[in-house]
Amino acid sequence: MRIVVTGATGFVGRYTVAAALARGHRVAAVLRPASSGRELGPLLDHPGVEAVRVDLRSRAGLVDAVRGADSVIHLAAAKSGDFYTQFAGTVVATENLLWAMGEAGVGQLVAVSTFSVYDYKSLDGGTLLTETSPIDADPVKRDEYARTKLLQEELYREFGSHGAVPDPSPEAEPQAPEGRRAVIVRPGLIYGRDELWHALLGAELGPRFLRVGAKATLPLLYVENCAEALVLAAEKLAENPSLVSGETINLVDDDLPTQGRYVELVTAVMEPPPSLFVPWPVMRLAADALDRANGLLLGGRAKFPGIVVPEKLHGRFKPLRYTNAKAKRLLGWTPRYGTEDAVRRAGGDADLLSELASPAGSQRAHG
Amino acid sequence: MVDSPLPTAPLTAAVIGTGGISQEHLSFLAGRTAFGPVTDRVRLAAVCDLSPAAARYAADTFGAPASYTDLGRLLAEVEPDVVHVLTPPSSHVPIATQCLEAGAHVLCEKPVTACRPELDALLAVAHRTGRRVMESQNYRFNTAITTIGAAIEAGQLGQVREVEVRIALPVTDPGGRFGDPNLPSPIHAMPAGVIHDFTTHLTSLLLALAPDVTWDRVAAAWSRHGDNELFRHDDLDALLVGTGPDGAVHARLRFDARTFPDVFTVIVRGSGGTAETDLFQPYLRIVRPRPGGSKLSPIVNHVVNGFGMARSGVRNLGQRLVQQGQYEGLHRMLDLAYTALVEGGELPVTEADMLAASGLVDQLLSREVAL
Repeated sequence: MRIVVTGATGFVGRYTVAAALARGHRVAAVLRPASSGRELGPLLDHPGVEAVRVDLRSRAGLVDAVRGADSVIHLAAAKSGDFYTQFAGTVVATENLLWAMGEAGVGQLVAVSTFSVYDYKSLDGGTLLTETSPIDADPVKRDEYARTKLLQEELYREFGSHGAVPDPSPEAEPQAPEGRRAVIVRPGLIYGRDELWHALLGAELGPRFLRVGAKATLPLLYVENCAEALVLAAEKLAENPSLVSGETINLVDDDLPTQGRYVELVTAVMEPPPSLFVPWPVMRLAADALDRANGLLLGGRAKFPGIVVPEKLHGRFKPLRYTNAKAKRLLGWTPRYGTEDAVRRAGGDADLLSELASPAGSQRAHG
Repeated sequence: MVDSPLPTAPLTAAVIGTGGISQEHLSFLAGRTAFGPVTDRVRLAAVCDLSPAAARYAADTFGAPASYTDLGRLLAEVEPDVVHVLTPPSSHVPIATQCLEAGAHVLCEKPVTACRPELDALLAVAHRTGRRVMESQNYRFNTAITTIGAAIEAGQLGQVREVEVRIALPVTDPGGRFGDPNLPSPIHAMPAGVIHDFTTHLTSLLLALAPDVTWDRVAAAWSRHGDNELFRHDDLDALLVGTGPDGAVHARLRFDARTFPDVFTVIVRGSGGTAETDLFQPYLRIVRPRPGGSKLSPIVNHVVNGFGMARSGVRNLGQRLVQQGQYEGLHRMLDLAYTALVEGGELPVTEADMLAASGLVDQLLSREVAL
């Protein structure tokens, strides 16, 4: 297949390009016009990779960028900046991409979303988070990323005519326009090389790191496992569209560690930042108290750092359970690397990117 | 000018362009103002953006009954009394013209036009159609500026001798909206490039604080000190010497992208006192003769301004906590504008204000004054 990968120079994008090559596909890697593409390293010169330079925030050149593709894996999104910056980089970018796919007659979309869309505040601790768990219907107190990803999912659902999520009622589902097949994939927290210490462990507090909780299970997804699942989703859309089109699929690894166990593993391959520790119940009480005080004294108008806003805090640290059963069933996916292996690979030199960067790997992938 | 009857309140308003500044206009139109609802004067009827998702989001968030991606359709179907034009500056003239021709008044973000001749032409359309155009010169209506204006008016600063307006913002940052090389901002095509987005603020504040001055001598150094090649200029240093009713007045207008912190300072020096503020971190410092004569005045000034700075610090902290920006003057300006549109009075930013501000920008850009 010829697969368009947006956000190809990003952390997940690089591995997705590599995974697609490893599975014998050709890749049109979407780079921003001013990007050198150095993040892709030798992959940029791989014979199976074509660099396409467009900015998804504009429609200029987009139809040509996707024309002839069998499938699109849409990873590009804005993760920083104010709301309007992220709206342009995530929502408008997605709207433009979907428009271009329609114009170019490209109908297959692996629509990458996020666990951030779920309404964590409404879930009881210990709940099993699944694809039918409620998404945040009133995300005004969530961060810009969650708000814009929720809007992005609306566009995905319009494109693929997904049924209302999480309402699974089949009779209410509209049919996708002819030839359009979309699967929404919601990865958990993706980690890997240079991305080992992350926001589900805590938050920066001046020169120190405030670790929140040690017992919650982390919804982790190793980047190589994620990339393989995304490529499998593109393949399944082509091979067996009735199975996956219109579906929403959560992606997490198999042997999910607790925060404490993960920190132990990571500490073996990297120097963790100097940290302070606060248990989850204490942090939760503190955030609730501050929220009440804000409501009583300031009419709820004060905007505090996310770590003490209950809606955001619950999204990062609430102890929940997770499953990848649907991903396994629909995609035929099994996470290739367990957490211990994954952390070791992330902390070492050998992973898919470095394998494909070698001349032998390059030939193997292309063949 | 065509005489047109006063519209019936509440007026219907539409917004075109739903970028960052739109939330300030839309929050006003949705009645989320510091001074309460404005629904007796205006009702938000529709929003428009090239992006359907952006238009829909703005409509949902601010309670507009309709969203559009086609301005022509909006004008035909909604027939708004007023359109807020919040699109990139290079699109203002055609969009404002279309709105005026459709019978709507136009409240437009700055700069309304790229140059004075374009403004003359647009105002001619307004006169012909019997509608009005107003440029957003919002900072003139911030509390600090109106307070300084009142101090000048009351003679507390004596005769105004010097005015300095300085904006410092890191606009060349490649990660920012002006410096991003991936999707260059349309503002780069304006005569002053990115600085054109700020020249209305510089000139309108100078003209508001020194209103009756003829600027006889103007010298402007436009430079690019940074290495972002998108920028024609990233620095303006302009010196002006003018003649007012009470003698010579000096002014300095400055835009710079290389210094820290971000500031928007306004300093007025008079024969009897000095007033200064920073609109990004609002405070007000006025040094002037105080009760107690020349011996005690310095002490009283220290005490008064010390308390004032402390109050400002607390207020700024509170505003930061509720993430209130520096746009308080915009709501006040819009409130005055709608009152004028409903009651038939003068708009808070008059045609003369707009022509003077635009003319001064043209003067700064003219080859003759370049340093």
